[in-house]
Amino acid sequence: MNYSDRLVDHFRNPRNAGMMRNPDGVGEDEYQGCGDMTRFYLRVMDGRVADARFQSYGCGPTIAASSAGTELAAGRSVEELLTLTEQDVTLAVGGLPPERQHAAQVVVGAIRAAAYDHLRRRDAALAGRATERV
Amino acid sequence: MIRRVYLDHNASTQVHPEVVAAMLPYFGERFGNPSSVHGFGRDARDGLDTARETIARFLRTGKDELLFTSGGTESDNLAVKGVAWARGSGHIIASRIEHHAVLHTCQALEAQGFALTYLPVDEFGMVDPDDAARAVRPDTILITVMHANSEVGTIQPVSEIGRIARERGILFHVDAIQTFGKVPIDLDAFGIDLLSFSGHKIYGPKGVAGLYVRKKTKMVALQHGGDHERRRRAGTENVPGIVGFGKAVEIRAREMEAERARLMALRDRLWAGISGEVPEVRLNGHPTSRLPGTLNVSFRHVESESIVLGLDLKGVAVSAGSACTSGNVEPSHVLVAMGVPLDWAMGALRASLGRENSPEDIGYVLQVLPPLVERLRRLSPAAVS
Repeated sequence: MNYSDRLVDHFRNPRNAGMMRNPDGVGEDEYQGCGDMTRFYLRVMDGRVADARFQSYGCGPTIAASSAGTELAAGRSVEELLTLTEQDVTLAVGGLPPERQHAAQVVVGAIRAAAYDHLRRRDAALAGRATERV
Repeated sequence: MIRRVYLDHNASTQVHPEVVAAMLPYFGERFGNPSSVHGFGRDARDGLDTARETIARFLRTGKDELLFTSGGTESDNLAVKGVAWARGSGHIIASRIEHHAVLHTCQALEAQGFALTYLPVDEFGMVDPDDAARAVRPDTILITVMHANSEVGTIQPVSEIGRIARERGILFHVDAIQTFGKVPIDLDAFGIDLLSFSGHKIYGPKGVAGLYVRKKTKMVALQHGGDHERRRRAGTENVPGIVGFGKAVEIRAREMEAERARLMALRDRLWAGISGEVPEVRLNGHPTSRLPGTLNVSFRHVESESIVLGLDLKGVAVSAGSACTSGNVEPSHVLVAMGVPLDWAMGALRASLGRENSPEDIGYVLQVLPPLVERLRRLSPAAVS
């Protein structure tokens, strides 16, 4: 199978790989078809992604797309992460063969899950503070 | 220049230069149709006859018991369907780890009303001949068991299964596509009635294979037309391919024994290196009764396809134990039948060695593979960090 140079580069030299301790948001997604799985960790400052890391179990494209996903996430607001699309991820790795499209799918799923996790934590923290005040 | 190491000989092999040389005249001045009576036809016929004689000698059988097909898949289809359709109905016994060319053919026959029993295998991928004996019914017409499995290399106890078949008057088909020219085959001692074997696994060309059919075996043809191949396989013979096939077999006859010992040593060295360097790794397949050049290993917490890609980028060609098509990974039916747990089956890798592999190749693989697996494991959420 022919992969783009960008995909191969992300696979060879994954950016931001590894777990993050005490993240502000963490989420994962698994592609049922093949068991490929990616987990995203977010460090959030002032509502924006200060650092994103990933762990991934899967084929080369899934690992590459996860790596590219951390670069896409960096600097964006958490709400923006919810609007990231499979196409954004596909473009970031220089294209995916149709039979490897699941790589983008699982990365978008994991980024969204991490973003939602952060928003839940934030809401819970705000609610907690509100309760304290009462 | 990046070093290139090909360890996928169970998939296909590089055509031997002597084979290419033998084939060339049959694209040129010896291009005739072997069914033609004129000189051009006779030239082609000579090439065909010589190849058939070479292969018959190698299998210690008669020329009239061999027919040529377009590939292993056709040989398997012709053997299994040809026997089944000649009988019209009945019961067939096959192992669960047959190649899809046999397995899907059996399933197609099942859909047509034939009864099928699929024999299990043990943890090493080995069929128990007692299971075959127990599966026999009064209406059993055929037992089909592969000689060695292409994925894990386990060599099956075909002579014992053949004896069971013979004692009960049941036809016995053996898919020998992975063993022909690699390990000895004794048609009579193994009690084989039909044997599928192929050219491109033994440094011959693609698109040509053979089927041995023991005399007096009732079988129908799958394709109809002229009287080629004793009316069992209509169609003008692939003369250059068959000539090349014959040459490949001639070379195997002289190289097989030495090559077998050499490949076993390289294969075992590869396994010793991997198991010594990489934690959480297991060997899939029988530890000893195995194809000389086949090594199937599972790395836990890594998906095999990422290792295949990583090795490919280092110039090393191996194959993944589980195939991903359209985002659906089917864990190998062979590993599943062997009871290999899913998290191991997903990380299975097959290295299959061949004649051009050197000790330096194995050294190179042992240099690049362990760090690759380690790197991929560091990325993996499944691995303990």
